Amino acid sequence: MTNHYIDLKNADVILIMGSNAAEHHPMAFKWILRAKEKGAQIIHVDPRYTRTSARCDYHVPLRSGTDIAFLGGMINYIASNDKFFHDYVVNYTNAPFLVNPDFQFNDGLFSGYNPEKRKYDKATWTFQMDANGVPMKDFTLQDPRCVFQLMKQHYSRYTLDKVSSITGVSKENLLKVYEAYASTGVPDKAGTECYALGWTHHTTGSQIIRTMSMIQLLLGNMGIAGGGVNALRGEPNVQGSTDHCILYGNLPGYLKMLNTSCPDLKTYLEHYTPKCNDPQSANFYINYPKFTVSFLKAMYGDAATPENEFGYNWLPKLDDGKHYSLMHLFDKMYEGKIKGLFSYGTDPAVSSPNSGKVRKALEKLDFLVSANIFDNETCSFWHGPGVDPTQVKTECFLLPAAATMEKEGSQSNSGRWVQWKYKAVNPPEDALAIGDIQIRIMDTIKALYAKEGGPNAESILNLKWDYKDGKGNFDALKVAKQINGYWLADSTYEDKLTGATKDFKKGELVPSFGMLRDDGTTSCGNWIMSGSFDEKGLNKMAKREKDDPTGLGLYPNWAYCWPVNRRIIYNRASCDVNGKPYNPKRKILAWTGDKWVGDVPDGPWPPQADKEKGKYPFIMKQDGVGSLFGPGMVEGPFPEHYEPLEGPLAKNPLSNQLINPTIEIFKSELDTVANASEKFPYVCTTYSCTEHWCSGALTRWQAWLLEMQPELYVEIGEQLARDLRIGNADWVHVSSARGRVKCRAMVTKRFVPFKVEGKTVHQVGLPFNYGWLYPEDGSDSTNFLTPTVGDANTFCPEYKAFMVNVERA
Amino acid sequence: MKEHKMEYVKLIDTTLCTACRGCQVACKQWNENPASKTQNHGSYQNPQDLEWNTWTLIRFQEYTDTDGNFKWLFRKDGCMHCTDAACVRACPSGALHHTDYGVVAHNREICIGCKACTSACPFDIPRYNKTTEKIYKCDLCYDRLKNGQPAACVKACITGAITMGEKETMIKKAYDRVEKLGGKAVVYGDKFVGGTHVMYILSEPPAVYDKLPVKPSVPMSVILWKNLFKPFTLIGMGAIAGAAALHYLIKGPHEVHEKKEGEE
Amino acid sequence: MSNHSAEMIKVTDGIERIAHWILAATCLFCLLTGLGFMFHSWSGIPNMLGGYYAALWMHIFSGLAFAASLIYGFFMWKKDCAFEADDAKWILNGGGYLWPTTNLPPVYKYNAGQKAFFWCIVAFGALIVLTGLVMWNADSFAHVVARWAFTLHAMSAMVIGSFFVVHFYLGTIGNPGTVSAMFTGKCSKAWCQTHCPRWLEEKEKKVA
Repeated sequence: MTNHYIDLKNADVILIMGSNAAEHHPMAFKWILRAKEKGAQIIHVDPRYTRTSARCDYHVPLRSGTDIAFLGGMINYIASNDKFFHDYVVNYTNAPFLVNPDFQFNDGLFSGYNPEKRKYDKATWTFQMDANGVPMKDFTLQDPRCVFQLMKQHYSRYTLDKVSSITGVSKENLLKVYEAYASTGVPDKAGTECYALGWTHHTTGSQIIRTMSMIQLLLGNMGIAGGGVNALRGEPNVQGSTDHCILYGNLPGYLKMLNTSCPDLKTYLEHYTPKCNDPQSANFYINYPKFTVSFLKAMYGDAATPENEFGYNWLPKLDDGKHYSLMHLFDKMYEGKIKGLFSYGTDPAVSSPNSGKVRKALEKLDFLVSANIFDNETCSFWHGPGVDPTQVKTECFLLPAAATMEKEGSQSNSGRWVQWKYKAVNPPEDALAIGDIQIRIMDTIKALYAKEGGPNAESILNLKWDYKDGKGNFDALKVAKQINGYWLADSTYEDKLTGATKDFKKGELVPSFGMLRDDGTTSCGNWIMSGSFDEKGLNKMAKREKDDPTGLGLYPNWAYCWPVNRRIIYNRASCDVNGKPYNPKRKILAWTGDKWVGDVPDGPWPPQADKEKGKYPFIMKQDGVGSLFGPGMVEGPFPEHYEPLEGPLAKNPLSNQLINPTIEIFKSELDTVANASEKFPYVCTTYSCTEHWCSGALTRWQAWLLEMQPELYVEIGEQLARDLRIGNADWVHVSSARGRVKCRAMVTKRFVPFKVEGKTVHQVGLPFNYGWLYPEDGSDSTNFLTPTVGDANTFCPEYKAFMVNVERA
Repeated sequence: MKEHKMEYVKLIDTTLCTACRGCQVACKQWNENPASKTQNHGSYQNPQDLEWNTWTLIRFQEYTDTDGNFKWLFRKDGCMHCTDAACVRACPSGALHHTDYGVVAHNREICIGCKACTSACPFDIPRYNKTTEKIYKCDLCYDRLKNGQPAACVKACITGAITMGEKETMIKKAYDRVEKLGGKAVVYGDKFVGGTHVMYILSEPPAVYDKLPVKPSVPMSVILWKNLFKPFTLIGMGAIAGAAALHYLIKGPHEVHEKKEGEE
Repeated sequence: MSNHSAEMIKVTDGIERIAHWILAATCLFCLLTGLGFMFHSWSGIPNMLGGYYAALWMHIFSGLAFAASLIYGFFMWKKDCAFEADDAKWILNGGGYLWPTTNLPPVYKYNAGQKAFFWCIVAFGALIVLTGLVMWNADSFAHVVARWAFTLHAMSAMVIGSFFVVHFYLGTIGNPGTVSAMFTGKCSKAWCQTHCPRWLEEKEKKVA
């Protein structure tokens, strides 16, 4: 979230799209309801009427996978009806920037596309530069090559008729949402968007979110109280795990994973440190080398020296151009190229797309180590349905793990709050916290390498590994402090803006990432977390003060919020160029002439009207402004609607490019696809239910929860059920090109058919919370149906839109 | 009814309920009620109905209103804790009784499982367990109230749809809320059976909701039974015994009249 | 026909007396336990029996025995208790209990009052048994059925209880010489001449 849960109460219009907030983020929804109580309009756009819809002002049904068309139509509405926040767009976005004359968009493709590689050459996705190497701008937004005009032109194709025909949303409903949401494009109104897996689980997922970011920039809703683009993450600690690099392409703190095209530290740092010639752009990632070197010092301690590039080459590297997502992992495993798997707190035999393939792939492993609270379908795959245990060679280990309340540590919520929590009870029997399991395994591995040596022995032997307490157990606080970072030498820090200095002693903690260094005198495991302790070791994550000086629910002394306890990021954009709040009623920040007052500002610099010292508000962006033109995405700078890998249409109504041109197509014999097929005529989406959690590997064992949602069901609209002569609670088979599941039919008014390109398209949906292991008659994984395909930027699988057939069982 | 320390009312605002069913689970957890083996009946509602081990549940109802607007209605069903409680009237053993908070609690120690309450209740709340031969229902977490804690369902409710407090305050809160909501919203609970200690704010007229009586009352049968037949059993027997005594005194015993020889 | 009026005549046989006493005892027991359930102030009764739960089961089993003896009694007494034309006259004269009368029609075995009591016990006994069965299995019936079962059960108890008192009075001190009919089975000839002259006449004819 750019903002945080409590801040949702400050919004005037809340668009919930790509999320079933009430069911899956009940705590977030509490604040949405607070906003509603204060008169905010709450809109739910979702294929299915859910418990969220029931509490919103209205629900607008939308065909799965057409979000970009819907939002593109909104951009068109905002731009062509002059509903955007002019001052904000001109000053705080790249709308005035002039784009490279060679940049083009034609029939669904941007310039530079290579169909063989399914990849773009981004050479033309650039700005025209002046003599100083600063992008040229037209603040009148009239130049036909300025970002604003190109964007307007791009989305002019997203007419109401077109969008309605693609999405299945009536024109009245489209206008109703567009008008309501665009009403926030004024200084004293805030609109926010809440999304979750309903947006990320698409081949166009990242671009859907970007489209919304563009809308928020156009309406001036970024960086303000009650605004933002807000990913709702939950108890699975997605926020914390991504912060700490659960994604293969990241190092902690969203630094880039090493790769073979950067063979040494210097190349790597040059490649990833952005340069900007505009003195008013803070371009905060200029500090990239400081974060990287401090990270390497945290990994290898004293062994990391300038001479050995701080151990840069001890770390593994990605092969250039290759991907290592979960889907790739199982693809390679299926090919027999992966020998062992550590599966901690996860149940991919249920949760991964194309589960049938995943389970076959597991059979090719030599060993599988699972650390979980309960046994699950992954660890027990060898005696699953259709598997002959005598034919499985894989050796499986189940390590009993401690549950979240059985261990101390930090937990991050969606609002980037990192909250320290304490152990409530001891784990049962010989269960251990994952940290303890890792300590024991790594101790053994290190001892073996010391004794026997082996390939890349240095990377193991030099690893700094002092995270044990006096009894030899895992010490979460020691890890947290290393994540925050230490001074490795007596140092003096000088504040460049004020000239003030402060001395630190070796061994003290680094109180802010602004003080990190690239000379090896600081260590920091994750730069965004630097500041979670003060130099004396005060754990700010454990703070529990309830003061709220702004009255806007920032609660600055409750836990720690990265970065530097900033509760709303890009908050300087809530003020005009002189630092005066756009909305005095919801003042999160104001420039008093010499300093910012309110939330922790995005940098101490004066507002941008001060041409000498002032900086633009979007300090993490190279150019200091929000990107309406976003060349960072692999699909192109402007999001474009493409159909899901499997959809009901044979042709994209907007272009001849049917599917996302940059997604990777998996080609194993188990990765069959049936687009616009008569055999699989119904759009299908998958989701969770309130009563279960993720794959259900934990909640299915909980009798009270299982009682409420005991078995797999498919929700079917009344008309389709009538057509198929399916009665409520009948057993049915749902099948796709990849597999079949048996489940109960839940005939409901909450799914209504869509009118798409003149045809009636029905949609159905199933939860993904069930597996064969328990309950015995609760049916098996919904992911037998889903395709192995993911977003082109993140490889998040497309669980949310594919085609199925439904028949009576 | 006893003198109250303080009368509590639990207010269920259906317009804030997201049917997360935290209340349903919290109730089971606090009261240590086991789960049942269920199956999907084509609805989220599960168990299908209140059971001896399910004292509260969310009823899910797909409803299209008179203007053609689709609505998904959620109603947390459970004991309404009537002031004039048919179950308390019907209960022979005194197991069902009003607590000092005005709510109807149930002393399972002395419950005889006669099931008089199950049929008497106008809201169909008490449930009989064949194994233990006892009745089960919500007691509004009397043990928690006694210790200054809100009922488990109130504590668990995230959105603030379930709140509780002093009776008059809550009734005022309910009416204020309904006024703010406008439209078809109504307060349900204060106008019958002497006022219930669980009240609803409904977004639709009560008749729309499944299994919610529009005008609940103590059944005529219970009134006849308890207010007529019950006293008249003693009165009748007593009166007749009195009449017999009177007859004996006035007329004396009905002596046999011996037939004399040749009398015919 | 020269029998002395003090001569004892057999009016009931053993089976009849056993049925009567089972019926009476179970009825009284149910009545008392029932009152215990009905009035919290009478909790002494169930408590004496080991508590409400025990009392309930005793009430149920006693009720079943009552039902069995009621059925037996019904078939045994229904013929003698069938109403006949003269019964109306008997009733119009108050059975001779309420005011002096000389107009009483001669009674066969049972007078109209006794018949009415019998049919009342049969009717309300059946009702109380049936409603009792419903109450016992209340969860198997619709609430409205179960609900009225409780009410009708109580009503039947009220009726039966009241008649029980009448019967007790008239069977004992109200009609001296009657009570032996249910102990020894014999009553004096004079008693028979008073209470069941036609039956006596017929009986004596048969003997002759």
